[in-house]
Amino acid sequence: MIKHKKAQWPWHGLTALVLVGLAVALFYATSLISYEWRWNRVPQYFAYQAEDVQRAAGNGTVEAIDLQGKMARVTLKDEDGDQQVLSVAQDSVRVSQGDDVSEGDPVGVTRHWAAGPLAWGLWATVWISVVSGVIGLFIGLMAGLCRLSSNPTLRDLSTVYVELVRGTPLLVQLFIFYFFIGTVLNLSREFAGVAALSLFTGAYVAEIVRAGVQSIARGQGEAARSLGLSAGQSMRHVILPQAFKRVLPPLAGQFISLVKDTSLVSVISITELTKSGREAITTSFSTFEIWFCVAALYLLINLPLSHLASRLERRLAQSD
Amino acid sequence: MIEVRDLVKVFDTRGQVVRAVDHVTTQVAKGEVLVVVGPSGSGKSTFLRCLNGLEQFDEGTVSIDGLSLADPKTDINAYRREVGMVFQHFNLFPHMTVLENLCLAQKIVRKRSKKEREQKALALLEKVGIGQKANEYPSRLSGGQQQRVAIARALAMDPKVMLFDEPTSALDPEMVGEVLDVMKTLALEGMTMICVTHEMGFAREVAHRVLFFDHGKLLEDSPPEQFFTEPRDPRAQAFLRQVL
Repeated sequence: MIKHKKAQWPWHGLTALVLVGLAVALFYATSLISYEWRWNRVPQYFAYQAEDVQRAAGNGTVEAIDLQGKMARVTLKDEDGDQQVLSVAQDSVRVSQGDDVSEGDPVGVTRHWAAGPLAWGLWATVWISVVSGVIGLFIGLMAGLCRLSSNPTLRDLSTVYVELVRGTPLLVQLFIFYFFIGTVLNLSREFAGVAALSLFTGAYVAEIVRAGVQSIARGQGEAARSLGLSAGQSMRHVILPQAFKRVLPPLAGQFISLVKDTSLVSVISITELTKSGREAITTSFSTFEIWFCVAALYLLINLPLSHLASRLERRLAQSD
Repeated sequence: MIEVRDLVKVFDTRGQVVRAVDHVTTQVAKGEVLVVVGPSGSGKSTFLRCLNGLEQFDEGTVSIDGLSLADPKTDINAYRREVGMVFQHFNLFPHMTVLENLCLAQKIVRKRSKKEREQKALALLEKVGIGQKANEYPSRLSGGQQQRVAIARALAMDPKVMLFDEPTSALDPEMVGEVLDVMKTLALEGMTMICVTHEMGFAREVAHRVLFFDHGKLLEDSPPEQFFTEPRDPRAQAFLRQVL
């Protein structure tokens, strides 16, 4: 049969139509429970204008107020004749010329941009993911190689580690780590969270590494050894580079999972993205908006991550 | 130069014991070319792999210039430096270019400078007739070219002896010749070689001695003229009737 080339764009158009339809349906459904969408409340949780109150240093009077654009220069003179000059936002000036002020009285505020809870939460999620990911990769590489070792003790220990970690829920591991590390070793909750996530990721990476190394044809190792390379050299220069290329997709998947799993450390009161989201909801009552934003922020980390992985994969594929 | 005495290799798979190499004794002098033949499963490949320790044997000794594989004090990596091996499936490192394939062991094992090892690699590639492919990846090369790279890779270590494990069995027929030509050149230059092969023409033309294996036993060890015209062992006679 002859293959006919069909235009693709009508189908992509249909995809867009389906997505728009779903969004409309969601909007309609929320209007049934008379949910009021207030997207304008969301941005302040990313960044807001923080205010610092400026106060009089002593008892005295307001000598002069000079307006300079959006700022106002307030000059105070205390009982000893000393002058104090405060620069505050013009619309926040609380005193007028000739007023008496006491020590500690607010004169006005200065404003500057500050990161809101969602921005801080995003940052916490990113650093926890990166640190746990790097440590987890290292642990996983070691444990994976131990599983392939000829030494029975190393093999047993790594098997026990992998099975224990994979067979129990991460949430339970987090609690155990929190109470053990927090109580017995007296370290911070962040330490407990990162330790639990690293060990959790390490167990999965160990299995990925083991499968990757085992998937490399035996002849590769034999060729390397026949040239006089030691077992370690052959692993490092011949087996692992090929295995890494092969396990890149599952490894990327594991790191994407890790980013999402960091949401669980909110149960030990680490304020990462999910916990910040919950806190933002308690003050804004904009449940849908905030959760959608939180979901979008996780996507913001994970989409570039998977893009990066597929680019790396393409680059490594050039020897195929 | 190479001395093999009473070599025994036993494969034990779920209680089923097979003697893959059964009390083999032989010597190889410097510059000699040996061709090892025999039906499949006769233990000839296992014998070859025992010679560089890829297969651990159960009894006997293997030694090259006094360095013995049976001696636990022998550094196996130092031993293997002196023994080049060429495999049936080439086993080039696919993530490295041809040049990198030739340079890796020179760098790590022989600790040669970059200039030195690249000079050596390019000279060897020229010798096996693929100098212009130095920067290609192995996957871009034909089977015959890959096998010639594999030979060059083994030669780059300046081995005292070269082992060939059915080097032409995985090749398309039209590529067998180019690989055999390289091997012939090598033999004429005086390289000590032990080749497991089914290429009887090569054996007849190049070998100094032909070794016939069956069921792990070395049954015949004679010059090719004698082996191909009047083999003594009845199983060798039967084998030759089948392959010629």
